Amino acid sequence: MIQPLAIGILSAGLLLGAWTGFQAWRRRPTTEAQMVGAIVLEVALLVQAVVAIIGIIGGRELTEPVTFVAYALGILLPLPLGFYLARAERTRWGSLSLCFTAVVVAVMTLRLLQLWQAGRV
Amino acid sequence: MSDHRAVEPDSAPAVPGEDGDDTPPTGPRRVLIALYAVFALAATARGIVQIATKFDDAPLAYLLSLFSGVVYIAATVGLVTNRRWSRPLAWAAVGTEMVGVLTIGLASIFDSSAFPHDTVWSRFGAGYGYVPIILPVLGLMWLWQTRGQRPENLTTK
Repeated sequence: MIQPLAIGILSAGLLLGAWTGFQAWRRRPTTEAQMVGAIVLEVALLVQAVVAIIGIIGGRELTEPVTFVAYALGILLPLPLGFYLARAERTRWGSLSLCFTAVVVAVMTLRLLQLWQAGRV
Repeated sequence: MSDHRAVEPDSAPAVPGEDGDDTPPTGPRRVLIALYAVFALAATARGIVQIATKFDDAPLAYLLSLFSGVVYIAATVGLVTNRRWSRPLAWAAVGTEMVGVLTIGLASIFDSSAFPHDTVWSRFGAGYGYVPIILPVLGLMWLWQTRGQRPENLTTK
C-alpha cells in the first residue's frame, strides 16, 4: 500500500463528503464536478486495491490479512452506491447519500492504513 | 479537483432547491438505503471474517456480528423493494435492530466479560461512530412518517 496515495484518498473522501454535505445543506442535487470527483476517487481506490493485493502476494506480513483484503475490496463498493443514488435522486437527498458514502470511504481508508501498519513488527 | 461544470450544461432538469421539508419520501428513503447497505456490508463481512478466522475466541460476539449483518440486509431489502411484504419486513428488521442495539449496548456495558470482543452493536455502536444507535431511530421515524403511503394502498382509499 502506498501511504501518500492512502492519505490522498482519505483527504479526498473527507473533502468530497464535506462538499456534497454542503450541497445537501443548500438543498441542491450533486453537481457534475462532484460526480466526476466520485469517479476519480473510485479509480484511486481501484489502484490502491491492486497495489495492496500485489503487496500481500509480494510477501507483506500482516497480523490480520483476511480483514485487510476484505477492507481493500469492500472499500470499492460504497462509492458506486452513493453515485447511483445521487444520480437517481436529483435532490438534496442524493447529495446526502453521496456525502455519507464518501465519508465511509475515508473511514475505511484509515482502517486500511492501521491494518497495514499493524503488520510491521 | 478542477471544476467541470462549465463543459456541460446541467443536463438533468433537476428540481432545483426543492424545499426540503416537504420533499417526497423517496429522498430520505434513498439516504436510508445508503446507510443500511453500507452497514449490511460492514457487519456481514465482519461476522464472516471473524467466524472464519477465529471463531473459538468469542463465539457469541461473532455470531452476533453475523446476526446484525443479516438484520441490516433484511432492512435494506425492505427499503429497496416495493412489494406487499416490503414494509412489514422493514418494520421487523428495523425493530429487531433497535432492540438488538439497546440490548447488546447495555449488556456490553454492564457485563463486559460476556463481550470481550466488540460487535457492531457493542457499547451502542461506539466503534462505528454511534451510527448503529442512530440508524434504527431514523429508520423507525421514516417508516412511521410514511405509513400508509404504499402505492397499493392509494387505490383503495
